[in-house]
Amino acid sequence: MLNYIWAGLVVTSFVFALGYDLHDLATDAYRNGTPLPVEVVFPEGYDADASEQPVRVLVDGAGYRTFYGTDIEPATTYDGALLSSEAGRQLRLAGAGALPEPLATIRGVSQSGEGELQGTLTGFDAGSVGDGAVPVPAALVFERVRFVRMNAISAAAIDFAETAAEISLGLIGVLALFLGLLKIAEAAGIIYALVRFVRPILRPLFPEVPEDHPALGMIALNLTANVFGLGNAATPFGIRAMEELQTLNPSKETATNPMVMLLAINTASVQLVPPVLLLALMGLQINQLIFAIIITTGLSLVIAVTAAKLYGRLPGVRASDPGHATPAGTTGD
Amino acid sequence: MEAIRSLISLLAYFVIPVIVVGFPLYGLIRRVPVYEKFVEGATEGFRVAVRIIPYLVAILFAIGMFRASGAMDFLVAGLDPLLALVGFPGEVLPMAIMRPLTGSGSAGLVVDMINEYGQDSLFVKMAATMFGSTETTFYVIAVYFGAVNIRRTRHAVAVGLTADLAAMLIAVWIVRFLFA
Repeated sequence: MLNYIWAGLVVTSFVFALGYDLHDLATDAYRNGTPLPVEVVFPEGYDADASEQPVRVLVDGAGYRTFYGTDIEPATTYDGALLSSEAGRQLRLAGAGALPEPLATIRGVSQSGEGELQGTLTGFDAGSVGDGAVPVPAALVFERVRFVRMNAISAAAIDFAETAAEISLGLIGVLALFLGLLKIAEAAGIIYALVRFVRPILRPLFPEVPEDHPALGMIALNLTANVFGLGNAATPFGIRAMEELQTLNPSKETATNPMVMLLAINTASVQLVPPVLLLALMGLQINQLIFAIIITTGLSLVIAVTAAKLYGRLPGVRASDPGHATPAGTTGD
Repeated sequence: MEAIRSLISLLAYFVIPVIVVGFPLYGLIRRVPVYEKFVEGATEGFRVAVRIIPYLVAILFAIGMFRASGAMDFLVAGLDPLLALVGFPGEVLPMAIMRPLTGSGSAGLVVDMINEYGQDSLFVKMAATMFGSTETTFYVIAVYFGAVNIRRTRHAVAVGLTADLAAMLIAVWIVRFLFA
């Protein structure tokens, strides 16, 4: 199933990106090559010889909306700089400022760099400027913008690949800490003591796991950490539990029923303490929601466990069970 | 309710100290070479983290592309009339779709929704309940199965998404029931 979902995500991304981009091309959403009418003022006076001088660009809201066919209200003025050279006049809009769409998108993909939007100034009559205080009509032609989404999905693929590696490597410290502590726990017999304690509760969920197996102890630790909202500790415990379950797995590449059950419990996330992140976002509002969260998480846990059991009985799923061909206690077919 | 909640959060303070201090202390009593054992176990940390990388890269880049492509808007537009039949408001649909895919993305959505609808709105309460009561399913699958090199996940994804779908619907209903 993951094969289809994964390929589906990648292929749909391409299809939708292409669709959006072709739509933009067809409707000429970025008005490539067409000059945007503006007015310019020179707050410090116009100097015909300066290679760079400050300029203020006045944008007419109604004109802007008709030009780009949007309903966005642009600001009336934008600060920038006029760059004059023999090749012509370039107008650069100031760096970090907010720009209305689609100018923000054009800035995002333009190659002019430094996160600034640069356009060629046309229809500008230097003779009529005077001292620069009176607005002078001019027009701006921006760089050609095509295949914005296509660009975006390529960038996203590369960025997220980096993020994934960063996240994984970021886990090293916490993993090392808790895997180290778990080693002590195993050697000291804590895990076995825990197994005896949680066996009555966990056995019905994990009937395939032998009753004295340390996997049950690891699962118990994983669940405890989850319940208390300690995601950092829950992950190493969950991974150790998976490793223990893997020792019982005859296949090594295919998930067994207990593995799916452990995953189901973890994705349903039984939390009695709300995640820190949510606390940070919602503040004290969270107190009202605790009850709703506990009910929802509890019910979804029940559904996850039921689904894991039920789907496990489907013929196709059953046939792929690595433990199915040689059930415990028999010698196999 | 308030008392139970404060008791739980009080206990939460002690879970990690009990593990971090309690395990070595108990080990010492049982005459386990605690330092040696700790280092032996901790060595695995690096290997496990590295083992997860390919699985996480596979999942995250696909999800990143999907978000960047704008397909989400279409998905929301397509599912909205269907879900309206069960009383599921379109405003929280992006959250319901995003939650199993990305943790940071869905946290960002909660912020967006607070800005758009205000903290007291039902939509924000629904979204926050969804966020608080479910996990980032695909991340959990990548990390847990990646750590043991499980490639064939069988019914794991279906189970995770079933639970997510149920949680989203329950979140909507319970918030309506409690606050509307």
